[in-house]
Amino acid sequence: MPEPRVRCSDLAVGHDGREVVGGVSFAVEPGQVVAVVGPSGCGKSTLMRALAGLDPAMAGDSWILGERLGGLDEAGHDALLRRVGFMFQGSALWSSLTLAENVELPLREFARCGARERRLLALHKLGQVGLLGAADKHPAEISGGMAKRAGLARALALDPEVLFLDEPSAGLDPVTSARLDDLILRLRDGLGTSIVLVSHEVPSIRRLADFCVYLDPVSRTMAATGKIDDFLRPDAHPGARDFFSRHAQP
Amino acid sequence: MPEVADSPARFSLATEGACLRISLAGDWTKDGPLPDFPQLRDGSEVRWSVEELGKVDSALPAWIQGLERAAPPGVSFRHEGLPPRIRGWVLLASADAESDGGEESLPWIARLGLWATLSKASWLRAVSHIGELALGLARLLVGRAKVNWQEFPQLLRTTGPDALPITLLLGFLTGVIMAYVGMIQLGKVGANIYVANLVGLAMAREMGALMTGVVACGRTSTAFASHLGSMNVSQETDALRAIGLRPVEYLGVPRLLAVLAVLPLLSVFATAAGILGGMAVAVGYGMSAEQYANQVIEAVSVRSFLTGLIKAHAFALIVAWAGCYRGHVARRNARGVGEAATTAAVLGITLLVVADAAFAVLFNLFAFY
Repeated sequence: MPEPRVRCSDLAVGHDGREVVGGVSFAVEPGQVVAVVGPSGCGKSTLMRALAGLDPAMAGDSWILGERLGGLDEAGHDALLRRVGFMFQGSALWSSLTLAENVELPLREFARCGARERRLLALHKLGQVGLLGAADKHPAEISGGMAKRAGLARALALDPEVLFLDEPSAGLDPVTSARLDDLILRLRDGLGTSIVLVSHEVPSIRRLADFCVYLDPVSRTMAATGKIDDFLRPDAHPGARDFFSRHAQP
Repeated sequence: MPEVADSPARFSLATEGACLRISLAGDWTKDGPLPDFPQLRDGSEVRWSVEELGKVDSALPAWIQGLERAAPPGVSFRHEGLPPRIRGWVLLASADAESDGGEESLPWIARLGLWATLSKASWLRAVSHIGELALGLARLLVGRAKVNWQEFPQLLRTTGPDALPITLLLGFLTGVIMAYVGMIQLGKVGANIYVANLVGLAMAREMGALMTGVVACGRTSTAFASHLGSMNVSQETDALRAIGLRPVEYLGVPRLLAVLAVLPLLSVFATAAGILGGMAVAVGYGMSAEQYANQVIEAVSVRSFLTGLIKAHAFALIVAWAGCYRGHVARRNARGVGEAATTAAVLGITLLVVADAAFAVLFNLFAFY
């Protein structure tokens, strides 16, 4: 049995000393896609930032690639972050750099290759997300869907073993959203990357996720985990059932 | 830390009929140099051998993809010999290539045409911006303009009182410099007393307004450009347009009026500071303060003073327009905002000097001195 790429145990996260969600425990196996879901404000993005090591957790433990996040010194923590890719909700591309330069920047800082190799790698990563011909454009010159894909290419720059995707489909039209979903599945199949994604787009979650983690904003806990069909059963958590059957929360 | 490649990436070539076999060896990782691409003959079919392949990451598919792009169009690639993971990466990179919105490079004549068109467009945009500002002012006069008066007091303060100390300092020092130069040259013919005339006239007619304009270009134009450029980046100007406001009128007119109101006053202060600077030097060279003041009053006519004021008003228009224009046309990214600030200062100072030269010719033509 391979070791989970991401694991957390009784994790609690929040802002400014206030807990947003707690009691979160699950594991992500190699090549698995896990969706963290729930209504707005339930702490999805906060949880994912803590899982990825971008923000500290308030309580509990989490592991990435077998390393416990709380047990690492600063250098070890930074080294671990380099093995993880993070795609931000707003793409967070550096606006003064071209798309190729955006992808090259992590390589320039953390790989030992030369400029020619960096350029080849950047074009390769942009090719993976279908943006080879836009390599020399600036973020302001591309569409929202292209920016999302460019953000994904940058997240892939250092060949991460785990990818964290924050609302990959948010703000995209259904066609672009479906294409991005295809791309994520191809990345998982082609690269064997484990993926943790935050989303409230039910069609996307249906296509991508091997299982879901439902966060309940009322009890501020991880209320349920399972496959989507599990959430649609009559005995499922009512909030999760409502969420997936696309009914409004009471 | 990334692992260092133990064995350098390399390859050897073997021809098997129409097929070219590339045998890969060593470590193909991001932490070492990759070999140059081999020359491929048109019509050949490339196959791979990987028996001696060491450590591998995405550097290998990146190199293969680069080789595919560099190869003549008749070369075909068979990737079956690659490890499945690498083959997956290569195929993934080529799968979506048709959807990337790429652009073909243009021939030089087309690029020249494009440059000419863009240059013309840039001039037209500048003229159009001046027109929009003028229209905004005209609409203001007939009470139909929508202007952001809320920020007007703050604009007055930042362009006026906040700029006063640096304007006074530079004005004073300009007077000091001119007085020293005058003392040295006029002293040779025993005409030291005319230093007061020199400094007074130069400050009132030229340097008071010009130095104030230069300071305002450095402070005010750049501030306007970066503020309006940032609003472009965050789509705030689009939001104004979306609710039916004209950004040039709404944001530009109060800036123009604020600078127009305070820059002539600053120029008066700079002129006075310059005359005082000259006096300090003159007194140091033995002239009395009263003598100096009398010479200045005698030399600087009301008309000279008006000349400086007319210039100050024109310079105010230039300073405000340069900042607003560069801010409004700033590209929508962080670099664009920086460029807007820089180009606003350069454009403003250049136009100030050009306008000053034009005034010199005009005042001479109409004997306004």
